[in-house]
Amino acid sequence: MSLEIKDLNVIYQDGIHCVQALEDVSLTVAPGKCLALVGESGSGKTTVAKACMGLLPSNAARQGQIKLDRQRIDQLGESLLNEIRWERIGMVFQHGAANLNPVHQIINQVAEPLIQHRSLSRREAHALAGEALVQMGLKEGYHSRYPHQLSGGEAQRALLAMAMILDPELIILDEPTSALDALSKSFVTGSINRAKERGKAILLITHDLELVVHVAETVAFLYLGQIMETMPARDIFTQPLHPYTLALGRSYPAMNTTRDLGGIRGDAFYRFVHQHGHNDEAGYRHSHIQVPLSSHKDGHAPPTGCLFQNRCTQTIERCRTEKVDLEAIGDHTVRCIRHGIANLLELKGVSKKYENTVAINAMDLTIKCGEVFCLVGETGSGKTTLAMIAAGVIKPESGSRVFDGRDMDEWMHKGYPSLATQVGVIYQNPAESVSHRFSVFDIVAEALKIHGLSQSREEMHTRVTKALADVHLSTDPAFLGRYAHELNMGAIQRVCLARALVLGPSFLVADEPTSSLDPSVQAKVLKLLLDLQIEMGLTMFFVTHDIGLARKIGDRIGVMLSGRLVETGPAHLILSSPYHRYTQLLIDSVSGISHGSFQPGSDPVEPGGCPFATRCPRATDLCRLTNPQLLERDHRQVACHFPLTSRHPG
Amino acid sequence: MHIDIRQTLFRNPWFVIGFTLALLFTAMTLLGPPLAPFDPWDISFTPISPPSARHFLGTNDGGQDIFSELLFAVRNTFAFGLLSGLVALGLGVMIGLAAGWFRGFVDMILMRIADVLLAIPAIMILILTAALFRPSPWLLALILSGLMWPSISKAIRAQTLTLRESLHVRAAAQIGGGNWYIIRRHLMPEMFPLYLVGFAAKARIAMFMEAALAFLGLFDPSRKSLGMMIGYALKYYYMDIWWNWLLPPIVCLSLLIMTVTFLAISLERVLDSRLKDALGA
Repeated sequence: MSLEIKDLNVIYQDGIHCVQALEDVSLTVAPGKCLALVGESGSGKTTVAKACMGLLPSNAARQGQIKLDRQRIDQLGESLLNEIRWERIGMVFQHGAANLNPVHQIINQVAEPLIQHRSLSRREAHALAGEALVQMGLKEGYHSRYPHQLSGGEAQRALLAMAMILDPELIILDEPTSALDALSKSFVTGSINRAKERGKAILLITHDLELVVHVAETVAFLYLGQIMETMPARDIFTQPLHPYTLALGRSYPAMNTTRDLGGIRGDAFYRFVHQHGHNDEAGYRHSHIQVPLSSHKDGHAPPTGCLFQNRCTQTIERCRTEKVDLEAIGDHTVRCIRHGIANLLELKGVSKKYENTVAINAMDLTIKCGEVFCLVGETGSGKTTLAMIAAGVIKPESGSRVFDGRDMDEWMHKGYPSLATQVGVIYQNPAESVSHRFSVFDIVAEALKIHGLSQSREEMHTRVTKALADVHLSTDPAFLGRYAHELNMGAIQRVCLARALVLGPSFLVADEPTSSLDPSVQAKVLKLLLDLQIEMGLTMFFVTHDIGLARKIGDRIGVMLSGRLVETGPAHLILSSPYHRYTQLLIDSVSGISHGSFQPGSDPVEPGGCPFATRCPRATDLCRLTNPQLLERDHRQVACHFPLTSRHPG
Repeated sequence: MHIDIRQTLFRNPWFVIGFTLALLFTAMTLLGPPLAPFDPWDISFTPISPPSARHFLGTNDGGQDIFSELLFAVRNTFAFGLLSGLVALGLGVMIGLAAGWFRGFVDMILMRIADVLLAIPAIMILILTAALFRPSPWLLALILSGLMWPSISKAIRAQTLTLRESLHVRAAAQIGGGNWYIIRRHLMPEMFPLYLVGFAAKARIAMFMEAALAFLGLFDPSRKSLGMMIGYALKYYYMDIWWNWLLPPIVCLSLLIMTVTFLAISLERVLDSRLKDALGA
């Protein structure tokens, strides 16, 4: 039996102010399949569940269709609905034990639907209920306990037993694992998978992305009542297409992701639909969105454009004005005017030579909006050159650069200043990257002066102090008048960070920004950098030789060797199971596993050969003569004729 | 770099001597005419009289007061040196910055011109110009500057080439700073020591040159100059006038040259000792 929700709109009315909880939500749950509904609190997940059960409060106005097996259930009366509830749709409500009646033993509560719907005797009902509880791992001694005598996990399992006692075809689970420990969670996961095997259709509402990956086939991401993306559940961490999905994935403490937890910048809008007097006192009904923390009047804007615009990492002008619809991209559907996460920077076939040394050898690289891309590799592999090419500081000899959809070289030629405001750079040596004749104020204000962005001295002062406060530096006049040589390295690097960010760029290139700092200062600066990356919605190109650092901050990693990219992909995939032996060597070297025969620095190889051939234990004549292409393999790209496919190959 | 330069300088004996002399000569230049007891062109006194209470240094063959003559001569020579030095410095800095910052074609053209000028002896050009065209001393000073800028611009260009690769200059360019902004805010302040040293070296040469041209009689004879005084005094060297007529202009010229030399040496040492070679002066 399948559940079909079509164009569901729900509005909660509260006096003249109404909250739009759902807008045009369409979902289908097929038998034997699990659909997960994921989103931030307040995104309308539970409202969907309640609408299916016919349990919306009386102040909710609803439009759209809900069909159970092609039969509409949204217009049924209370008595008909009661026949469907528990019999055909079982539900586990959120907040666990709070849903159990505190004055009844749990066995009574589990048996209650049997007595009500099936008219069984008390004895028969208890026997069946007892069986169901045992199946859920609750031993007989527990059956006559009262809810307050149960732990959270036991209460949750009792609720699951209750929801499934009448063997309904559709089970709605609202946050079934939110308060559970890992073992109870895995038990619940097993129960859901068993129910699926028995052909049940499951609508799972959860924050728990790991659970989604394990039990669901499809996942829908809700934001402020709109579906932003639907996708196969296995792609959550590897192929998000909507910035919201990417940010949610980054916020979830999954076991196999390595980057420090991010979040989503800013706060959500409030969606209001309301009625109030206009000049002529005649009430009219309209909807608008309210920006967080603003008064009603300031935030009184009609809801144009994308609802995620204020928190997105790739907002363009059209996002603010044009209505966005869901569109299908592969097996995903995405609500984004830019057709999913856009590319901020595309390098194609760039190369750069210094005298006779090839620094960059015809490389391709794509950096997506809102991600942190880490470039790792040994010294001399061309990391800095590539970063400076990406920042527009160095001009490549060949190849094309496209930044934000515009050809970078043409842009630089026609009007470099407008590109300069988009790109911030932090250099490897902070002390040398500022003039010793400049005070802290001058350093940060330089960009504002160059671009003439401040009308008055006060305005410039305000902007400089704000930039300094953003990087947690003092803003008192004595500090503003200091010179770089009077500061410690950590402070200079933060001044440099403030300088890079004062123009509000969208792209930050950081070349070994912490290599001259000691670990405690490095930790502080990095934490700051990541916080700012989230809050300002920055895209970051981070160069480091420290693969451990890359693991903590990178969404994606690129491994460079002799001016070529040998492996690139999601950080957690590459670091947990590298496919290229050079990546393996880098990781092992950090972990202290020595490979005696390896010498640092690359040896000369045949011009056409793989740059790692002389050091690779598995190199063959093929490797020495032809350079492998960067090919797509399991969500990553690797350039190797004989890639590793597991952690420890024979 | 932010050491208290003033304190260091005043502990340097070369600088203290140079600075004192510079003050003295500046005072002589500015206050020369009112200080002079007589009109230096007044020929109404007894020629070749020894020093007396009336004439501190006696009178010359034309019956002019030597002390007054000396004050006017120092004034002319000193002003000639300052003007030449400043103009040569201005040209040298502008051309050196342009060549070093823009490189390429601009650099090639400017530096080839500089090479040509370096190969031509300035004194020869000056003597010929002065003899053939009889220009005013100020024009001659400008011509001399036009011949002296190459060594300054070579030093400035070398320093610019180094500086343009430094991280803070590249950072300023990345932020969007234009050529003029970077030259003004990042390059020019960095080369301050070079200006002092370059100016001193050129002013020194110019003062000596002025004296030399005047000695050869290539200036308007009515114009007072240390070189001219030396020239006239030498004609009467057989008389006992060397200590009151010949010596004073020689001492003044030496002191003038020493002033700028001392200042140059001390500034070089204090500001940046590495620049000595770069200037070749």
